[in-house]
This record gives sequence, C-alpha cells and structure tokens, in this order.
Amino acid sequence: MTAAALLQSIIASLPEIVVVTGACILLILGQLVRKGQEHFLVSASVGIVLIAALATLLLANEVRPAYSGMFIADRFAVFFKLVFYVATVLTFLLSRKYADIEGIASSEYYVLLLFALFGMMIMASATDLLSIYVGLELMVLCTYVLTGFMRRERRSNEAALKYVILGAVSTGIFLYGVSLVYGLTGTTQLDAMAKAVTGDPLDPGLLLAVVFIVAGLVFKVGAVPFHMWLPDVYEGAPTTITAFMSVGPKAAGFAVILRVFLNPLVAASDAWIIVAVIAVVTMALGSFVALVQDNFKRLLAYSSIAHAGFAIFGVVAGGQDGIASVMLYMLIYAFMNLGIFGAVIMMRNGDFSGEVIDDYAGFAKSHPGLALLMLLYLFSLAGIPPTAGFFAKFYVLVALVERGFVLLAVIAVLLSAVAAYFYIRIVMVIYMREPERAFEPALTPMVRATLAFTALGTIGIGLFPAWFLGLAQQSASGG
Amino acid sequence: MGFPLLSLIIFTPAAGAAVLMFLRSDDAVRWTALVVTLLDLALSIVLLAGFDTTTHEMQFTERVPWVPALGITYALGVDGISALFVFLTTLLGAVSVLASWVAIERRVKAFMASLLAMQALMLGVFSALDLFLFYVFWEAMLIPMYLIIGVWGGEGRVYAAFKFFLYTLAGSLLFLVGVITLFFQGGETFDIVALTAQDLPFRVQSWLFFAFLVAFAVKVPMVPVHTWLPDAHVQAPTAGSIILAGVLLKMGAYGFLRFSLPMLPEASVYFSPLMLALSALAIVYGGLLALAQDDLKKLVAYSSISHMGFVTMGIFALNPRGLEGGILQMFNHGVTTGALFLFVGLIYERTHTRSIADYGGLMKVAPVYTVFLALFTLSSMALPGTNSFVGELLVLSGGFAANLAVGAAAVLGAMLGAAYLLGMYGRVALGPASVGARFKIRDVNAREMVAILPLAVFVLWVGLYPKPFLDIIDASVTHLLTEVHGRERGQ
Repeated sequence: MTAAALLQSIIASLPEIVVVTGACILLILGQLVRKGQEHFLVSASVGIVLIAALATLLLANEVRPAYSGMFIADRFAVFFKLVFYVATVLTFLLSRKYADIEGIASSEYYVLLLFALFGMMIMASATDLLSIYVGLELMVLCTYVLTGFMRRERRSNEAALKYVILGAVSTGIFLYGVSLVYGLTGTTQLDAMAKAVTGDPLDPGLLLAVVFIVAGLVFKVGAVPFHMWLPDVYEGAPTTITAFMSVGPKAAGFAVILRVFLNPLVAASDAWIIVAVIAVVTMALGSFVALVQDNFKRLLAYSSIAHAGFAIFGVVAGGQDGIASVMLYMLIYAFMNLGIFGAVIMMRNGDFSGEVIDDYAGFAKSHPGLALLMLLYLFSLAGIPPTAGFFAKFYVLVALVERGFVLLAVIAVLLSAVAAYFYIRIVMVIYMREPERAFEPALTPMVRATLAFTALGTIGIGLFPAWFLGLAQQSASGG
Repeated sequence: MGFPLLSLIIFTPAAGAAVLMFLRSDDAVRWTALVVTLLDLALSIVLLAGFDTTTHEMQFTERVPWVPALGITYALGVDGISALFVFLTTLLGAVSVLASWVAIERRVKAFMASLLAMQALMLGVFSALDLFLFYVFWEAMLIPMYLIIGVWGGEGRVYAAFKFFLYTLAGSLLFLVGVITLFFQGGETFDIVALTAQDLPFRVQSWLFFAFLVAFAVKVPMVPVHTWLPDAHVQAPTAGSIILAGVLLKMGAYGFLRFSLPMLPEASVYFSPLMLALSALAIVYGGLLALAQDDLKKLVAYSSISHMGFVTMGIFALNPRGLEGGILQMFNHGVTTGALFLFVGLIYERTHTRSIADYGGLMKVAPVYTVFLALFTLSSMALPGTNSFVGELLVLSGGFAANLAVGAAAVLGAMLGAAYLLGMYGRVALGPASVGARFKIRDVNAREMVAILPLAVFVLWVGLYPKPFLDIIDASVTHLLTEVHGRERGQ
C-alpha cells in the first residue's frame, strides 16, 4: 500500500479512528477519575461520539473505498453509523444514574461501549467477509462483557455465559461459510465474489456457504431459528445494555445482511425464499411468545424478535425500496425502542425494579406526562399512526407490494395485529389499573433529555417522514 | 387554494386538546372543551353555508405535498356526503362534552383531551382526499377511543376496550395492504380523486373489495363481525357511546361510499347481492337481539346493528333512492341513536342501573325526560314526521327495487324495531311509578336540555322538511351512481 493510498484509507476511516483512539485515552483517564466524578466519563464518551459523528458527516458526500477493498465509506455506511451514534449516545445518557443504582459505575463500562461502537462502525463499512468478521467479533466481545457487568447478579452471569457460548457457535458457523466461499471463489471480497460467479449457474456449494454466512448473521439480529439466546440475555443484562443491544448491534447486523444480500451473488439465487420463511417464522414466534410474558424486559426481547422479523421482510423485498425500508426501520426503531427502554430504566430506583409489567399499574395517575410518553412509544412499536413506527411498517409494506409479495404483506400485517395486543396490554396496565404503590422514577436531567429526544424522533418522523425517507432512499443507493 | 377552512375545522379541537393540558381546575377544562366544540360547530356551519350544492366536485380543497417520494399529499376536501358528516361530527362533539359534564368525575382533563383529539381525527377522516392521510386519521382514532372506553368505562371496560381495539386494528391492517396495492395498481398515487378515475381489472377490484370490506364491515359493524359493538357500547361512558354510535359507525359506511363504490364499481355491482344479504341479516338479527335485551344500553346498541343494516342496504341497493336513503339514515342514526345513548346516560347517572326491569312509571317523576325519550324512540322506529321515516322509506323503496326478498326482510326488521322500542318505552316510562319510589329522580336540568334540544330539532327538521339535507348530498349521490353504473356498462 502506497503512502497516498494509506492516507486515503485513514481519511475514509477517520470516524472509526476517532472512536478507537478516544476509547483508548478514556481507558487510561478512567483510572484517574475519582469517585463522584463519573459524570466526566459520560461527557467524555459523548464528546468522542459527537466528534466521530462530525467526521462522518464531513465525509458523507463521497464514496471512499479504503484498505484495499476491505472497507468503504459511503452513504449507506454513514446512515447506519448515524443510527449507531444515536443508540450509543442515548445509552450513555441513560447509563449514569442506572449504573450508580446498580453499582456498576466504572470507566470500563463506557470504554467497552465505545469499542462496541467501533465494531459496529466497521461492520457498516465492511466490504470483505474478513473485515465483517473483525467488526462483528469486536462488537460481540464487548457486549458479552457488558452483559455480565452486574457481577453480583446470578442472572447477569448466566446471561453472559449463554451469550458467549452461543455467540461462539454462531461465529464458527459464519467462519465456516467464509472459508467455503474462499475455497470456491478464491476471494473474500463481496464484489469479487459476485464477479467470480457471474454467468455461471449458482454453485450449490456456494449456496451452502451463503446459508452458513446468513446463519451467522441471523444470530446477531436474533431471528429464528437462532433467537434462543435473546430473551435470556436481554433479561439478564443491565437494562441499559439491553437497550443498546436491541438497537445498535441489531442495526449493525442488518447493515451486514443488506451488504451481503444485495450482492448480485445472492440476488441471483432463490435465497429470498429462505429469508421469507425466516421473516414469517421470526415475526410469528416473537409476537405469539410475547403475548404471555410478564417481565417487561423479556417482553421487549420478544418484541425485538418480532421487529427483526418485520425488518427482514424489507430484505425479502430487496431492490432500492426494500433496502431503504430496512434502513428507515432501523432508524425509527432506534428512537422508539430506546424511548421505551428509557422509561423502563427510569423506573429502576431504590428497591423498585420496574421490570415486571404489573409494576406499572396506575402509572398514568401519578405521572400523566411520563405515562403519555410511554403510550407514545408503545403505540409506535405497535405501528399505530401518526407515530413513526407506523411509517416504518408502512414503507416495508410498500416495498413488499411493489415487488408483488402481497401475500407476505398480508401475513406481516396480521402478525402485527397480534403484536399490537401486548403493547396495548401495557398501555392498559398503565392507564386502566389502580396504582398499587408510589412511584419515584429516577428522573435525572440526562434521562429527561433522552426521553425528550426519543419522543421527538418518534412523533417527528411520524408526522414529517419525507426528509428521513429521502435520506434512507439516497443512502440505500450507496452513492 | 383559498382559506384553509377544513384544516381549521380539524385542528381547532386538536389545539383545544393541547390547551387543556395547561388548565388546572376541572371546571375550566369543561368550559374550554365546550367552547372549543361550539367554535368547531360554528366553523362547520360556515362550511355548510359556503357549500355549493349544485356540484359533485370536491370543495374547500387543500393540497400540500407531504411525502412526495411516495406520492403522499396532505389533501383535504369535501363533497356533499362528507360535508354532512363533518357537520354531524361537530354537532355530536358539543353534545358529548355536555353529556360528560358531571358523568365524568375523575381525570376530567385527560378525558376531555381524548374527546377533542377524537373529534379532530374523525373530522380528518371525513375530509381526507389522500388515502394515506385517510388511513392515518382512521387508525389514529383507535388511541383516544381505546382510552375513552378503557379508562372511563364501566365494569368490564378493559375487556371491551381490548376487543374494540383488536377487531378494528385487524380489519384496518388488511385495508392498509389494500391501499398499498391500490397505490401500485392505480398509477402510484394516493390521491383519492385520481384513484376514482382509474379503471382497474375486475380481478384486482374483487380482491380489493374484500380487503376493504373487512375493514369497513368491522367498523359498521356488519354481522358477523359485530360482536365488539355491544361490549364497547355497554362499557363506554355516555360520551363514548354517543361518538361510537353517532360517528364511528358511520366511518365504515363512509368507506364504502368513498372507496368501494367509486374505485371498485364492477366489484361493487358484482358483490351487491352478498352485501344486501348481509344487510338484511344484520337488520333482522340485530332486531331479534335487541328484542331479547333487558339492559337499556345493550338494547340501543343492538338496535344500532339493525339500523346500520338499513344503511348498508341502502348503499348496496345501488339506486338513487336507496343511496340517498342510506346516507340520510347515517345522519339520522347519528342524531337519534346519539340522543338515545344520551338518555340512557342521563337515567343511569340518576339510578346507577341500566336494567329495564328496574324502571317503570318514569313519566310521573320525570315528565320532560319521558316526552323527549318518546320523540327519539318514535324517531328510531321511523314514525312518519320524524327523520328516520324519510330515510327508512327511501332505503326500503331502494331495497325493494334491488331485491324483493331483501326488502321484505327489511320490513320485518322495521316491525321488530317497533316491537322492541315500544316495549322498551312502555316498560321504562309508563305504568305505576315504581322507579320514583326507589330512586330520587330529578327531571332533566337546563344543561341537559341544551344537549337534547338541537338533536330534537334535527329529528323534526329532517322529518318534516328533508329537502335541505337531501340537497346537500344529491349531486354527490347522482355522480356516484353514474360512476358505478356508467363504468360498469362501459365495460
């Protein structure tokens, strides 16, 4: 690699470099922070992400391939990186008070989150199976540790262990697929892979390789049949980490799936049938099992499985609208899901866990404003207009019908009617039951800011979707 | 584009709901809500006054691009049919506020805000000229209505609210897929006027007809998807019942008029026998169920199913008299059944029982109440001189013209109506004054009279001189029928 090419590569990956350098500095500085000064960690982490965001936006207008075809900075990557920034910053804001309450306040918590962000950013930009693998592993290694961060809690340890073991298996499957691809085509670059097979009838061995790769990725987004880890891990992890995992890594998984899937190699095959089946089964399982959950975090875990299923319908649709619909879905999902998790985290105070749905009985009576916010997020998750969640689903349906998959669209909407049931059940508990105890939500200014920001996104994108839609459509075309 | 009167009508209650959030005392909330609804009523009268009855074209139109990439516009406009329902909605809006003045004691602010939000959304449904916008309003209504039933309703309110929500949601979601299909089949536009002008292949029309039918039939509600209605009505607070019966049930029929008939004319004609049969079934079955009720509110609720059967029968008779009658009956049912629910609410506030067996001889203790109850009962029975007589006569003559058997079933339903309504009135109002002995009953007070009188005026006005009302819808109905039959013959 010449010096000029290296410089170009460094410029293209400037945001990543900012994040990883910042994380390393914070790792050292974190040891010097005295007790009671933890807010420094939050502001420093947020600062790092904001600088990275600035760098990302500055680079947004050009397509920059880098590192000999391992990496690319294009609009598609920019869009996903912005989603990651939103998820990470909001997680930082939510974490401060919660970390105090749970006694997990240490600088490594923030550093690990930054490293996870770094991994996700690589995933969004990766154009080679190996760089995808590097990003993926970096991200999941950090989330393994973060899941087990409540060391004294058995639940948290158990979740982390489960996550590590299953995650390792899925990584193995993914790598096996990669090695098959390399053996058959002699390359791991996505573009070169496509070129190697153009014109030929699809090699069954290659199809098998794709199935393995897809299986590895599907694990990360929590789709059936690799979803089993998700409810336990979501329940056991600190709630802030659950919030982060349900948005960031999931979006990163979708970024990779889109890159792999939109590759002509897969587009030429009949792989969409497999994906369609995955989508239907994922959504059905998520929706139906969520019906019987009493634990709020578990319910949101199944809800996130169902949402992943809905987003996969966008992958099935394919084409520019299909890709854009998944991207928009991830953006909107980030707002509404972090919003509802923000509400759950806010409830964690003193001996009050806020993890059981019945805990919220009569919440509307004592805190009408906060209850209204929860109502907003829940109806958005259910996909009721005029919230953003409706537009997210609507656009996926548009993409589906455009490609002629009307039957799939009908299945998708019927399953979302099932899913609506458990969201409005929570609204019912909040609004229609008598309060059983007094509430003292842990409402710090940071939590307030998070709730306000997510609410603004949830209602704002719902009412004025045009700009965000345009952004997703432009970013989907890559250029 | 001139003055955005329709936007003003829609957003006045919405803004009112926002203002309520800042008020402290319950009385201030009540008065503000009343003033807002009266203002909205005044605006809709301005709308009617400026309405040109000689044309079927959409009037007071507003168009602003909303999501240009998907061809979605913020488009509003009214023809004769929607103008009538805009007026009905604002009228019942004010009545609902008055009806909940003392009936709602807890969380008044949230209740009135939901009521006003509901009104804004319903007005949006009747004025939307863009399918996406229509769907947003249509679906968003579920939120305030769910809360109105579930928070302020009776004993079984939670179950009823759930059932209402899920039934209508499941129906509407299929409608959504239909809407998107229509978007691609009709030249990638959501513009209702443009879509009306499209000629779709019959196969596509039939599928869309059923997708739409599910959504609209749930809202009407038609047998066999009617079971949410008695639950919702019985549990809802009085204002909720008035809105449900008065406006919400009209949405389904309005959907048939706005989408099914003009956009899917061949399918509408082809499936009209099925629709007529379902209507006849609703009329008779609803009547029989009403006959068996002891709960006053349930009786009125089941009678709604029967009456809405007349509406759908009129619509799918697909002839001028049937269609005019059906639309007029929609208006009449809103006024009359709205009033009946108001009366049920008034007596329930005083006695805390809805069982007809507990009443009797109300005439002696509350004469004014019973006189007006008589008027609305007779109106519901379609006695000559009242509003429903005009509507029902038109529907029957349209129904007989379309199909003899269906017309005959409707007459049977009308007879059943006389039986359960007269029976109800007899047991409630006449006889020895048993109810006075058990409950301390005041007659209607001034505030309640204010809510009742306008409804009574419309019962008699439409009954004695229906011409102004028929004039409003006339041009639109004629046009609608030429759309349906003209294009059908053209094929």
